[in-house]
Amino acid sequence: MKMKRFAALLLAALMVLSLAACGSSSTSSQPSGSAEVNLDGDFTATELRVAIWDNNQRAGLQQIADEWTETSGVKVNVEVIDWGNYWTLLEAGANGGDLPDVFWMHSNTAQMYMENDLLLNLDPYIAADANVNLDNYYEGIVDLFTRSDGIHFAVPKDHDTNALLYNKAIFDQYNVAYPEDTWTYEDMYEAAKAIYEASDGNIYGVAMNTNNNQDSWYNFVYSYGAQVITDDHKGTTIGSEEGKNAMEMVRKLLTVGAPQSVVAETGTDSLFMSGKVAMIMQGSYMINAYYTADNHEDYYWAMLPYADVNGNGTCEKEERYTAYNGLGWAAAFNTKDPNAAYSLISAFCCEAGQIKQSELGVTMGGMPGVSEAFASAFPGMDISAFIRIEEEGSLFFRPYTRNTTIWEDKLTQSGGFLDAWQDPSDPELMRTACDNAQKIIEDAIAAE
Amino acid sequence: MREKRTRRKIDAAEKNEMLWGYAFVAPTIIGLIILNFYPVINTIWQSLCKTGDFGRGNTFVGIKNYQAVLTAGETWHSLWNTIKYALIEVPFGVAIALVLAVFLTKKLKGTSAFRTIFFLPMVCAPAAVAMVWKWLYNQQFGLLNNIFHTNIAWISDPKIAWISIAIIGVWSIIGYNMVLFISGLQEIPGDYYEAAEIDGASGIRQFFNITVPLLSPTTFFIVQTRVIGALTVFDLMFMVMDTTNVALQNVQSIVYLFYTYAFTNGNKGYGAALVMVLVVFIMLVTRIMQTAEKKLVYHA
Repeated sequence: MKMKRFAALLLAALMVLSLAACGSSSTSSQPSGSAEVNLDGDFTATELRVAIWDNNQRAGLQQIADEWTETSGVKVNVEVIDWGNYWTLLEAGANGGDLPDVFWMHSNTAQMYMENDLLLNLDPYIAADANVNLDNYYEGIVDLFTRSDGIHFAVPKDHDTNALLYNKAIFDQYNVAYPEDTWTYEDMYEAAKAIYEASDGNIYGVAMNTNNNQDSWYNFVYSYGAQVITDDHKGTTIGSEEGKNAMEMVRKLLTVGAPQSVVAETGTDSLFMSGKVAMIMQGSYMINAYYTADNHEDYYWAMLPYADVNGNGTCEKEERYTAYNGLGWAAAFNTKDPNAAYSLISAFCCEAGQIKQSELGVTMGGMPGVSEAFASAFPGMDISAFIRIEEEGSLFFRPYTRNTTIWEDKLTQSGGFLDAWQDPSDPELMRTACDNAQKIIEDAIAAE
Repeated sequence: MREKRTRRKIDAAEKNEMLWGYAFVAPTIIGLIILNFYPVINTIWQSLCKTGDFGRGNTFVGIKNYQAVLTAGETWHSLWNTIKYALIEVPFGVAIALVLAVFLTKKLKGTSAFRTIFFLPMVCAPAAVAMVWKWLYNQQFGLLNNIFHTNIAWISDPKIAWISIAIIGVWSIIGYNMVLFISGLQEIPGDYYEAAEIDGASGIRQFFNITVPLLSPTTFFIVQTRVIGALTVFDLMFMVMDTTNVALQNVQSIVYLFYTYAFTNGNKGYGAALVMVLVVFIMLVTRIMQTAEKKLVYHA
């Protein structure tokens, strides 16, 4: 019996131990900047794990990283995890203390990661780095990755805007005039309708999934004078009359667009590339996918239409809005070699790295003045619409709150906008959806 | 524990043997504790907490999560979706597998080839299976709609999507059930069939009067494990259906809902409470089946 008691004790001890082990791994032990800052090579790490979510950018970024490897001697392994799973994996990594060394941060979740000390405090490294000066980057993006106490946790990687992509072959086939800079959303609807009707519903005028927010319906909302998240990040005006007018326009487009049952099964990009859709709105980070597509010679970019709110027939600056967003390169709080991790971030974000990124056609830069090369990175395709809108229209930073994903996901689903998307013929459904959206966002902010 | 029995002294050899015994079971026991017992206890604890970001700063809130879970229409809707899925997957998965097993234990040409074919879905990764079916079902470019010249939204029409999903479930599980049935069939002595044949019983009569009752322990085992398996289904819905799919609400299982709350929204406490509700439900169902076993299963 002694043996049994001993075994029981042993088991109990093990249990406590395993509890303790798990406990200690989930509490943070931030190496409090005491690690010596030394960016001149001599790194202890032999390999860095880098995680991103966009496969279109992998090759270009790997190339920049490989050049860094030549001088640093540290191998860089870029892993691509799709957007949905990226955050699940990152969170699991954060819980278990096994984050990638260097990774992308996004406005949806940056605040949560910063508040929980999961990212490396970059300030001592930036101070020691002659190549990076945060004043040179887009202010909105720098702010996004600055915690309330002023510590910077990521360096801006890029910025993106949106444009209207159309398939010239389809416009030619149905004899409809191409999109122009003078287009209002109403004009866009008329063209979409003409194509949809002329093709007996075989070709959709537009395609928009409920989750196409940043590249699609968010832009309507701001152009019509409402805000998805107000400037103080504490509220929304989506349920206002302006918001409802914007979503009414979206609804009209959906009546001549691909039904929700179609876009939920096949992505809007795939539908467009298979010639089922005449127009879609896309972010600049998607250009490469269309540039390398089979029928790329038919694809053209135009500026996003504007909303003629005051009815004077010309576009005021605040009637044409595009969302812009910027990612940041961040490092894990517990990365084995913070010097190597920061050095890689610096290679991506310093002016030379940013220009290289533009030249390779990865994305536009995180600082003004480095994106000219991007426009010419796609010979044969005019992508100036993405850059022109920054001058001729207005930009709003992608709406975010402390935990954006919660309300953002709810908006895409039933009880949010999904019901109206599913049955766009009923204007009342869309108005109700706007009211619901107002409540969803307010409730989510209240629970943060 | 006071033992009246006089204790025999353990000699050195026995003691040694015992230690080795413990040493050999230790890996399993430690594994069980770390991978099963600890998470179970932790889940129960989390279900009573308002969990903080990244598993930090949990605050005890008592049964609040349970109240929220049990009063949400979503919970019951998902539970009903899960039951609907089980109601298709289990009966069809068992019945079709049984018929196949009976045919494949007959002395026919090519039985081993067919056994392999039917078992193949079991070998494939569930994610791969789901992706292939997703494309078969695709409304625009799917093989099914193209062959039959239809335009059915197989996985986006709320009325039929749950059936489409359950069909994938049946297809995936038939092979596994079949193999279990085959081994069960091989244990039925041939004498019964010979005797029945002499008495002039037809094949169908033999099937219902000999095979079905003598196979009932196997059948029960399969039904029980599959019911539990079906009630915890997740990967099919997760892989096949997009989160903006209009039919998702009518298809998502309770584990899917758990995943959404616990991992997508990061609300571990609510997720834990949700999964505890499922555990209680499965326990109830198992209890009912255990009672039924005594009446329905024929032990020779």
